[in-house]
Amino acid sequence: MEILEQFRTLISAENKFIKGWKHQKKPVLGYACSYTPEEIIYAGGILPIRVLGSLEPPKLADVYLPVNVCSFAKCCLNEALKGRYHLLDGHVVSNSCDNQNKVYDLWRHRTAIDKTYFINTPHSTTENAIKFFHEELERFKEWLTKEFSVEISEENLAETVQAFNENRRLLRRVYELRKRNPPSLSGSEALEIVLSSMMIPKDEHSKLLRALLKEIESREDLPKKGVRLLVSGSVMGNSELLKLVESVGGSVVADDLCTGSRYFWNLVKESGDSMMAIAERYLCKIPCPFMYSSEERFNHVKEMVKLFDVEGVLIFSLKSCDVHSFDAPLLAEELRENESLPVSCLELEHSLSGIGQLKTRIEAFIEMLEE
Amino acid sequence: MSERRLETLRGFYQNYVKPSYEAAHKAKEEGKLVAWVASTFPVEILLAMDIVPVWPENYASLCAARRVSVPLCELAERRGFSKDLCSYPRCVLGSLFDGENLPEGGIPRPDILVASTCACDTHLKWFQVASRIFRKPLLLLDVPYNVESANAQNLPDHYIQHYVSQLEDLISLLEEHSGIRLDEGKLRKTLELSNKASELWLKIQDYRKKVPAPMGAREAFSAVYFILCIPGTQEAVDFYERLCGELEQMVKQGLGVVENEKYRLVWDNLPLWFDLQMFPYLRSLGAVVVAETFSHVWTGSLDPSKPYESLARKHLSNMSNCTIEGRINLIVGLVRDFRANGVILPTNWGCRMMTIGETVVKEKVQEMTGVSSLILDVDSTDWRNYDEYRVKTKLETYLKTLE
Repeated sequence: MEILEQFRTLISAENKFIKGWKHQKKPVLGYACSYTPEEIIYAGGILPIRVLGSLEPPKLADVYLPVNVCSFAKCCLNEALKGRYHLLDGHVVSNSCDNQNKVYDLWRHRTAIDKTYFINTPHSTTENAIKFFHEELERFKEWLTKEFSVEISEENLAETVQAFNENRRLLRRVYELRKRNPPSLSGSEALEIVLSSMMIPKDEHSKLLRALLKEIESREDLPKKGVRLLVSGSVMGNSELLKLVESVGGSVVADDLCTGSRYFWNLVKESGDSMMAIAERYLCKIPCPFMYSSEERFNHVKEMVKLFDVEGVLIFSLKSCDVHSFDAPLLAEELRENESLPVSCLELEHSLSGIGQLKTRIEAFIEMLEE
Repeated sequence: MSERRLETLRGFYQNYVKPSYEAAHKAKEEGKLVAWVASTFPVEILLAMDIVPVWPENYASLCAARRVSVPLCELAERRGFSKDLCSYPRCVLGSLFDGENLPEGGIPRPDILVASTCACDTHLKWFQVASRIFRKPLLLLDVPYNVESANAQNLPDHYIQHYVSQLEDLISLLEEHSGIRLDEGKLRKTLELSNKASELWLKIQDYRKKVPAPMGAREAFSAVYFILCIPGTQEAVDFYERLCGELEQMVKQGLGVVENEKYRLVWDNLPLWFDLQMFPYLRSLGAVVVAETFSHVWTGSLDPSKPYESLARKHLSNMSNCTIEGRINLIVGLVRDFRANGVILPTNWGCRMMTIGETVVKEKVQEMTGVSSLILDVDSTDWRNYDEYRVKTKLETYLKTLE
């Protein structure tokens, strides 16, 4: 389908929207974590784009960083060191995990990006935490208005929230297509669609989603039927791994990924003070494992398993990602014992080095499920 | 080169560490509330409430020193915990899956767990896992990251408010679980003792500024136990007074812990708990560790009339809660104040906080003080990748460059 190619192009260097945006002399801001409230950035006429690294082995970052660092954080820094983010007017980091916090030091000391901002995201969802986060977001808004000489009005915020929510609702409808058997979209296609939503203005992306939802009904080259899998993990910045899973008989119909369902599952409340609604939404969304409670994420996985009729779960942990690595055995145990689901836990590098061995293990898992 | 041993530190493990585990096991039997505590949690609160603190980090280092940590790490790894995680939780979680022949009869089981996000994610995640295993509640202090590396006096107000309001909520929950009310008078007394211990510990560090230094890292990594684990107690104050007395005498007589002091080093991060002989070895080369960053992050003056606010200020400004500037400034200050001519930066395999950015630390310290640093890729507790010969060769070569 041609339209799927369009989504794919948006996550490549060929993304014309970003160039066009820059051409209009409007700023582009990179962000490192799905807890970054994009609405506030976009309401100021600034384009937020997710920094996703690449598949290249991070040779430059390896000069400054030891081996035992999250390979995603390393790959992102590597791209910055290579000058691939020269179009960014700034970089925003959240207090998400040790890897991100500490690599932030390197962004400040070693890259050419001079405007950086750190949002102190709390790790709990209590009333106190929301109040604190709200204060942090107000300060972030102030920084944006000063640094980029923009205005961020309540009206703009409310409008932006609506546009973002609309995009989230549409993405949910896209996910619904995967409840079918065979699914109308493969897992790798769905991931590319979600990733691309982080790379252009949401209303533009929503236009594409609406077109997709129409065209998909007459799709002829449907993905093959396969073992219905849920993929759980942290950041997946490209679709290579899911393509691999789907090349050996898997059909990725659902996910619990930072760059998948966790990115768009929750909406922002559209009534009342927008800044407060944004603070609540981001803090109380399906949590990343750096948050106080893992239960909510585990429950999300269990819900997805039921909604999407999942037969097996692949848990991917990026090497040296502490928060996911601590959760992996717990989530596996919970799914095996309470849901009687087959689970495979796999560790990998973001650059997918050593993918051959990984492929063998995924293949063996899928074969076991096919029996 | 011969070295002197400090009388006050003789039999430290038998006299202080071992009895603390015996006491905790006994308290558990007697039905007292036992809490697992992660470092950077304001333990004074627990001490003032007669809740018995148990330190899993201390247990991991103890297991390493007794050379049993690796088999315990392996037990955790077999349960699916990644080899790339910090070796402290791997070791302690492993000990929960074994239960036999553990040092000090194993780590006392908690009735409650308290942690703070001040030092790392690992504290939170490790304690979450333990909380699930024991089915006991985990109370968390969610500490804002000190992104400007501000000192205790210059922190943003909303950081302090957030810390204080959480601490108040947490105390209410502790009171509910323990049935003990936090007595304000008792808290004041605990904070006063904590201040005293803190002052004495700083005085001890001051003696180490003298040339030759009367105390090294081997002693410091033992003696830091009091300020780290039980700062608000008379026991801590008494011990540090005795140590101060001994050091004062040594300084008066011009005695150093090494007879012929050639190199004065700053040691960052943790020691190799499984090879504490590293320090006598360094001394045999004429090198004394005169300061550890680890000895300089637990002190801080507390105001008994504003207990929560001062605890907030102390912990928010802890170097482990700061950006890399916090660490650079601390090391630069130590190099200058302690007249050091070398810095050892040991990494810790599973510790992102202390490992990422070593190259920046090395560069900045050199720039600001002219002193070079040696980065050592090691782990504090897991010796499987440790090559003693290689590490010693590196150290020897490095020391030669300082001449």
